[in-house]
Amino acid sequence: MKTRLPVVVAFVSGALMILSFFGRGPLVDSASEVALTWQTIVGGFSLLLGAVSIVRVHWRRVATRERDRFYSLSLLVCFVVMAGSGVFFGIERGTVFERLFNTIQSPMMSTMFSLLAFFIASAAYRAFRARSVTSAILLLTALVVMLGRIPMGQLIYSQLPAWADWVMSIPSMAVQRGILIGAALGAASMSLRLILGIERTYLGRG
Amino acid sequence: MKSGNRADHTPAGRSFWDRLQTVDRRILYTLIFAAVIIPVLWPLHLPTPTTPESQAFFNAVDSIPAGSVVLFPFDFWPSTLAETEPMAIAGLRHCFRKNLRIVGLSNVGMGGPTIAERLLDSIGGEYKKTYGVDYVNLGYKANYSAVLLGMGTRIADIFPTDHRGTPIGDLPLMQHVPNYDSVRFVLIISDNAMVDYWVALVNARFGLPMVAGVTAVMAPKALSYIQSRQLLGLLGGMKGAAEYEQLTGLADRATRGMDAQSLVHFLIILFVLMGNTGYFVIRHRQRHLPLGGVRP
Repeated sequence: MKTRLPVVVAFVSGALMILSFFGRGPLVDSASEVALTWQTIVGGFSLLLGAVSIVRVHWRRVATRERDRFYSLSLLVCFVVMAGSGVFFGIERGTVFERLFNTIQSPMMSTMFSLLAFFIASAAYRAFRARSVTSAILLLTALVVMLGRIPMGQLIYSQLPAWADWVMSIPSMAVQRGILIGAALGAASMSLRLILGIERTYLGRG
Repeated sequence: MKSGNRADHTPAGRSFWDRLQTVDRRILYTLIFAAVIIPVLWPLHLPTPTTPESQAFFNAVDSIPAGSVVLFPFDFWPSTLAETEPMAIAGLRHCFRKNLRIVGLSNVGMGGPTIAERLLDSIGGEYKKTYGVDYVNLGYKANYSAVLLGMGTRIADIFPTDHRGTPIGDLPLMQHVPNYDSVRFVLIISDNAMVDYWVALVNARFGLPMVAGVTAVMAPKALSYIQSRQLLGLLGGMKGAAEYEQLTGLADRATRGMDAQSLVHFLIILFVLMGNTGYFVIRHRQRHLPLGGVRP
């Protein structure tokens, strides 16, 4: 029963979604509507599970006085402040939550991301060497695309943007499509395995 | 090796070409910092030519009849605001100027709905638009695939209330928008794989036309949807945002930021060329040294 029930639920839900994708009708619509509402509820609970899990892990680190416990403690404090301000005082404009988000969290995340410009510049300078024919081709292509995508590129040579567009829309696109089609086929076959009950690792056994 | 050898790698005897390959990272960081700051203080006003994808994005939004409902997903994290926020602002201004009604939402739980609320209110305020009548913010619901599919049947099942907790039945705009059938267009701003899901789940199944503004690193992948006509237009990174700002005649942050981005790109290219020049000169010399590597 422990194995069969989840497999039956997976089969019914999966088959219903496939049916609703390829055809619409009152019965299929109402059944898929119920399934999708359940899915959002389950999604909400999985978020809650994630929150509980992260609190448990970091609480344990603080309680057992591990070496980096102060990082865990700061995470717990931030978690409680943000979650508490949202739950008790609301999340709309002008609330404490909104102010904390706009004045602390958002600038901090943007700052972390903007540091990437420095690291990319340094990494490109140190690692991007034309050591072989293939790496030389990669380097040349990258230079053409980078120059072609900025206004300065056009000032250097008027045809550079056209070259960059060609690289983006022909060779790069061929590779992107290959990756997309491959990933889609993989996802479809994995979904079929799940729906048909062949893939059962999500039950905690192979 | 003796220190007199030009290809020597000891600190005391490093040649100019060797130094060219090993510039201290603090110098690189300072130069990058200067390349960002200088154009902000003294704008260069470099021209930004319009790409066909940005022009198509503008044309698609511009051709929507006034009064139509546009779904506006704010699917981006705060970390990419530098690229995505100018796109969202330009998109909102374009929509409000054309008197389109906007249904905002976010599939990014951490920050998405708050950013949506801030931008919708501030840009809506610029055009004297009223919340609930001209625009709404549905907020966030977990499980994006269920959200995207479920809204096609009944939006109220997925979002019983908006971001502010108001039942969506009480919002005049949402009374006319029960599902995707009443939505004319989707304008996605995203920094993650949500564009793929909008295309695969909403465009493919419900046939809703859509355009997307994405970060520069995502643009090559999203371009494939342009060629297949699943996306009608695309803005790629800050450059795309700057092009869109200029097309709408509302030059703002992205247009100003392009000078800095242009200089930083140029500087990175110079760094790469510098490193490779040093590498090739040293390699050439090493190949022409006699056995033992010491010059006579």
